[in-house]
Amino acid sequence: MSGWAGLWLVTRREIRERARTKGFLISSIVTLVLIGGAIVVPTLVGGNAETHEVGVVGEGNATILEAAANLARAETAGVPDREPDSYEVTEFPSRAEAAAALEAGEVDVVLVEGNTVLVAAQGFGGTSLVGALQQAAAAVRLQELTASSTEAASVIEALSNEPLAVSTLAGEDSATEERGTVAYGGLILMYVAVLSYGNAALTGVTEEKNNRVVEVLLATLRPWQLLGGKVLGIGLLGLGQFAATVTVAFIALKVTDALALPTLEPSIVVVLVLWFVLGFAIFSVLYAAAGALASRPEEAQSASLPMTMIAVLAFFLSFGVLGNPDSPLSVVTTFVPFTAPFVVPIRSALGALSVVEHLVAVLVTIAAIVLLVRVAARIYSGGLLSIGRRVKLREAWRGTN
Amino acid sequence: MLEIRGLRKSYGDVVALDDCSFVARPGRLLGFLGPNGAGKTTAMRAVFGLIELEAGSITWRGNPIGLAQRQRFGYMPETRGLYPRMRIHDQLTYLGRLHGMTATEAGAEASALLERLGLIDRSKDGLDKLSHGNQQRVQLAAALISSPELLVLDEPFSGLDPLGVETMARVLRERAHEGTAVVFSSHQLDLVEDLCEDVAIIRQGHIVRQGQVDEIKDASPVRHLELELADGAMDELGELADRIVEKDGNRYRLMVPADLDIRPLMTRALDGGQVRRFVYTTPSLSEIFLEAVA
Repeated sequence: MSGWAGLWLVTRREIRERARTKGFLISSIVTLVLIGGAIVVPTLVGGNAETHEVGVVGEGNATILEAAANLARAETAGVPDREPDSYEVTEFPSRAEAAAALEAGEVDVVLVEGNTVLVAAQGFGGTSLVGALQQAAAAVRLQELTASSTEAASVIEALSNEPLAVSTLAGEDSATEERGTVAYGGLILMYVAVLSYGNAALTGVTEEKNNRVVEVLLATLRPWQLLGGKVLGIGLLGLGQFAATVTVAFIALKVTDALALPTLEPSIVVVLVLWFVLGFAIFSVLYAAAGALASRPEEAQSASLPMTMIAVLAFFLSFGVLGNPDSPLSVVTTFVPFTAPFVVPIRSALGALSVVEHLVAVLVTIAAIVLLVRVAARIYSGGLLSIGRRVKLREAWRGTN
Repeated sequence: MLEIRGLRKSYGDVVALDDCSFVARPGRLLGFLGPNGAGKTTAMRAVFGLIELEAGSITWRGNPIGLAQRQRFGYMPETRGLYPRMRIHDQLTYLGRLHGMTATEAGAEASALLERLGLIDRSKDGLDKLSHGNQQRVQLAAALISSPELLVLDEPFSGLDPLGVETMARVLRERAHEGTAVVFSSHQLDLVEDLCEDVAIIRQGHIVRQGQVDEIKDASPVRHLELELADGAMDELGELADRIVEKDGNRYRLMVPADLDIRPLMTRALDGGQVRRFVYTTPSLSEIFLEAVA
């Protein structure tokens, strides 16, 4: 049996057994439902036309309501699947009776004499409705001043929009800017994935020591095969779960149009996926190395903080790189294994990285992963026979092959 | 043949193995005996490369042991353990594959073992769903999955009920009969005496007795003598009276030097009359053990 065959057997077992656990199934389903729901539900709620119950008292309200209905129609004209809001009007003989109806929730607001809006309380609920009525009233006033509804509409638009187009220096090349945004979005996803699944690698490598099957396994496996296979299995399963989540979110966003997605150029997607995998791998191995020192999951937890700090620092570094991709810090951190996954995609997206530099960064990171697996495996096998207690790093290193 | 030569290993100031040497032969059961902390587990771990030796060599059929050889070995470590939630058939198949078997071979062998151990109906259950005794059986199956040429078991009988002991003994005998070299450690000396052709006794990391059980017994400097005398015939013992270790009415148990000439006593026993019962034996393995590790 070759080294890779053994590694793959461990990996396969890891994926199968983990995927079969209730915990994994439940967390997968809950995540997908939450992500899908968080995107789809607001658009369902926000996309439907609302009917506002408006109470009126006295004269001068009809023109405002008519203008409000016109504005609502103008707003939704040309937007598919959207109906304009409508207003259902109830007349009250006196302000007191209207107030009582408002109190009882029969109407949302009350318009009084075309000059006052009566609301139940100042709060979240009525504000968009009040805003719409205010806007309509403004339109009516303007119309009285200009005598033309088209002019009134353009005046309103001039007031409500930003008349000046804003352009930044970097934005001269808006495609580059957009690539930067995409790269940054990718980094955030990687950061989330590293923090979410790093702990699985950390506690996962203590499993065999904790259940003591390790002596049976290491009779036929080398420590690096066991450790590497476990990290690979946990990582692949985590990546799969994460990819499913991102795909669902992406499809939901596309379908509902809830958020304007930037265009994804194939080249940047390739770079992002490559570095996502590299970053995910190197941090998984780093967490696993910390876990290798422990013999029980509870002990391993206490070793996770330093690893998380490295990820947080690297992530913050990428802010700086986004602002200044050519600074010495950006250049240096391109070739540091733990920061490269957070720095290289952004510099690449912003066009601040040559192909050779990119290649070197990839090689440095891969070399670091291989080295780290070896180090972790050595710590792992060194601490092997001291089952039940935390191993000192130096002891573990000296311990055995 | 498993040949262990001159092993040395220490943990700090504690010497675990000190020039430890013994051999285990195909088709034979070797009982590996020693007090707690004498180095049995360390020596067994060394066979599987789980510790780094300071000196010595371990060979199988004359070749140094690597992963390829270990794929043909079976091991039941002192610290028992398998995956608690994994289905037992999957678990055995996985271990079989780690021993270089194909998925089909490993699956078939797992089924065959579970069948023989009476666990075939539980194939799809996780280990933690089984009783303690059945978990021990699965642990044994894990050691047997690769049809090993060498079987090393650390205290296989500890914690077993009489039925479990019977099953374990039967399986070990069968394996030895089929040509496997079987090495196991145990504190149940009567069981070892009953089961094993060979023993090795370790004391403070060093092998102090080794060889066939019969030969070791024969080599002992003492013998057991059991006599039943007629009433008032104490005089028959003569100077042997000093060697009585137990007296029960007219029955006497004595420990005598192996080179004692017993013919006079035998003659008198044959004559009838004064000596009514005469039993002359080598000491039990327990006695040899106690003498060896003292």
